Amino acid sequence: MNTPDVLPQQRRENPDPQERSTPMPRLVLLLALVLVAFGIDYISHADVNSPSAWGDARTRAELVGDRPAAGQGVDGAAIYAAMCSGCHQASGQGLPGVFPPLAGSEWVVGKASTAAAIVLHGVSGPIEVKGQPFNGTMPAFAASLGDAEIAAVLSHVRSQWGNSAAPIPAELVANTRSLHADRSTPFNGGDELAQLP
Amino acid sequence: MSPLAILMSAFILSIVGLGFFIWSQRAHLTDPSTEGSEVIFAAGEIGTPEEPAAPLATRPAAGADDAELAARARADASTAPLVFFFYCCAFVWLLVASAAGLTASIKLHAPDWLTADAWLSFGRIRTVHLNAVAYGWAPMAGLGTALFVIPRLLKTELVGGRYALLGAALWNAALIAGLGSLAYGVSDGLEWLEIPWQIDLLFVAGGALIGLPLILTLRRRQVAHLYVSVWYMGCALFWFPVLFLVANVPGLHHGIEQATMNWWFGHNVLGLFYTPLALASIYYFLPKVIGRPIQSYNLSLLGFWGLAFFYGQVGGHHLIGGPVPGWMVTLSIVQSMMMILPVAAFTANQHLTLKGNLAALRHSPTLRFMCLGGLMYTASSVQGSFEALRSMNAVTHFTHYTVAHAHLGLYGFVSLVFFGAMYFVIPRITGRDWPWPRMISAHFWLASIGVAIYFVSLTIGGWLQGRAMLDESRGFMESVLLTLPYLKARSVGGAMMALGHVIFAAHFIRLLTARGASRRAQPASPFATAAEGI
Ligand code: HEC
Ligand code: HEM
Ligand code: HEM
Repeated sequence: MNTPDVLPQQRRENPDPQERSTPMPRLVLLLALVLVAFGIDYISHADVNSPSAWGDARTRAELVGDRPAAGQGVDGAAIYAAMCSGCHQASGQGLPGVFPPLAGSEWVVGKASTAAAIVLHGVSGPIEVKGQPFNGTMPAFAASLGDAEIAAVLSHVRSQWGNSAAPIPAELVANTRSLHADRSTPFNGGDELAQLP
Repeated sequence: MSPLAILMSAFILSIVGLGFFIWSQRAHLTDPSTEGSEVIFAAGEIGTPEEPAAPLATRPAAGADDAELAARARADASTAPLVFFFYCCAFVWLLVASAAGLTASIKLHAPDWLTADAWLSFGRIRTVHLNAVAYGWAPMAGLGTALFVIPRLLKTELVGGRYALLGAALWNAALIAGLGSLAYGVSDGLEWLEIPWQIDLLFVAGGALIGLPLILTLRRRQVAHLYVSVWYMGCALFWFPVLFLVANVPGLHHGIEQATMNWWFGHNVLGLFYTPLALASIYYFLPKVIGRPIQSYNLSLLGFWGLAFFYGQVGGHHLIGGPVPGWMVTLSIVQSMMMILPVAAFTANQHLTLKGNLAALRHSPTLRFMCLGGLMYTASSVQGSFEALRSMNAVTHFTHYTVAHAHLGLYGFVSLVFFGAMYFVIPRITGRDWPWPRMISAHFWLASIGVAIYFVSLTIGGWLQGRAMLDESRGFMESVLLTLPYLKARSVGGAMMALGHVIFAAHFIRLLTARGASRRAQPASPFATAAEGI
């Protein structure tokens, strides 16, 4: 085998390294014990039984969050912004002559079951609100909103813009819904609404 | 049995098994007295630190006899062209990656800059940066170093170098195609596995071809004892093709399982590929430069087998908070903490070896890079262990804090070590000395101060960002805006690093083109002796 010339760089370096067999430092052994103890402790406290779809180490309570008193955790303000504010306006003042106000309205803060009936089936025909006559059409929401959602949006409306009536529970909306189960047309103006039980 | 009991018994059994295994390795290998581990050293060689400042003529030949020198020359001659090719590629990818990284960094605080071309958008240029460092710079530098070191440690010539050359050519062709497709907008959509799987086949073939000479050379080895660097490098060469193949099989992994596989790969490529290559380099070059044996074979065993054993199970710590099974994340967190053990073993081994030999730091740039890199290994790993705890990860996940940790590891540790290795190896494979030692210092300080700025600013910024995101009373935009000064500081640090790389590459070109420095003649310039320690 022919040997290539030894380069000066190769000549000047130290020999290849090797290892001495000094014993393991005590401190390293101690560290090993501490770490194993930590591992056992950590595993024994681990939550490995929650379904993994919830996300690692998350509890049911964290996922459910805080429950508002009424409205069963549904965000009434969000529903109002999405479904009602187009007509009644974000301020709840309506548009004079076209859409009646909800702020200070006797229908809103009045009988809870009547308010629920209005949102469930809508109104068409003359109605007087805060002394002003209106004659338009309010759409029905029975099909698009559930009981809890109607309860939440009404509770929201009843507590805004100076209104301060009690929140409406979902059960009340459910009762009103079954009371008018056969109905397929809007209520006929303020007169019919005033006669509701 | 409950999942908890299964998890607990698996953990305890595996730790006991590991302990027994390491003990049996030790008992067996040191059986025929200590001779087994000292065959590499000729008598009288131990404990003579090189005096790098001594003028060449008066310098002893470092205690090596003619046979050792001849073996060394033969080993180097068999690898020189190959290693040279790997290193040239490493330089190119280092510059490409730095440019891409710096562009991505500036875009995060100057979003209106360079918006005309889709390939320069943050999403693509960041991915180009990541892939250019992960599959270009780091493996080319690391594998090149491994191919240089392995024949030296086996005291034989490299067998099958042609396969490795072919492998490297395939690998670089794949990377060019891969980066092109990422820039074009075609990607697999998994972090660290972005390159389309069709191209990945070339990487697997290239990686396997690069690993093949290792097996061939091992069969021809002239030593009875395998030095610790050989374990690390050998395993890295074996692990990579396996990991990469499994991770890229198309249509095999779906949904949560795919995410789990993604991070099994992601962490293993860090821990079982770059990390062992860099650790092996430290284990070789550090005692080499100071001329002392490594303190303890026992610590090397613990460091190696601990790493091999624990790292494979830590991938789950990238998915903390995700919808993956709780036992898996828990196990990954525990094993992340267990990683402190091999890290401590490595640190103790280096520290005890270096003790009393720090003077060599003044002369040897290689040693400077190696020592700082070794310290950063300890720092990034210990940081990582705590970052894996749920309480801390809840803050740091999804923030720049992770990016700071990533650069402490891949830059502060892996890249600095490879810089040091290249400063040592290049004079041996070209027969030329570095012409301007000052530029080595400039590179060293730019890189280390640059990464310090990078790390500190993003660590603080990332932590504040994480706290702001968890605070319900503050808007999301607040958590974004508050990182701006830290992102600007990162660009400053990154620019210094990039400048250091340009200097490094320019110096390399200067070394190749320098007049009068021939392969054989000894350059007599005063600069040459100043750079002696390498
Ligand atoms: C398409 C526009 C429109 C939308 C959407 C609408 N309303 Fe009405 N609303 C009206 C009109 C018009 C009247 C008056 C009906 C009439 O003139 O007979 C009315 C009347 C009312 C009344 C009784 C009168 C008053 O001002 O107190 C209430 C209560 C009411 N709406 C609540 C709601 C709630 C709650 C929502 C959302 C779930 C809603 N409305 C969505 C148009 C609308
Ligand atoms: C030239 C200096 C460099 C700069 C300016 C730089 C900048 C960046 C930027 C901006 C990112 C994207 C971070 C994000 O998504 O928020 C990034 C990611 C990354 N860089 Fe660098 N980088 C540089 C050098 C390097 C080097 C040399 C390496 C290692 C070898 C490296 C490894 C990485 C890695 C692994 C990531 C991905 C981090 C993650 O996914 O969290 N970088 N870099
Ligand atoms: C004991 C050793 C280590 C542990 C336990 C560890 C742990 C971690 C953790 C917990 C994360 C963050 C995951 C997240 O929240 O997304 C992380 C990210 C990372 N670590 Fe480490 N780390 C260790 C060592 C290293 C080393 C040595 C390197 C470099 C070679 C490194 C490179 C990275 C990179 C690049 C990332 C970013 C990955 C990404 O998001 O793309 N780590 N590590």
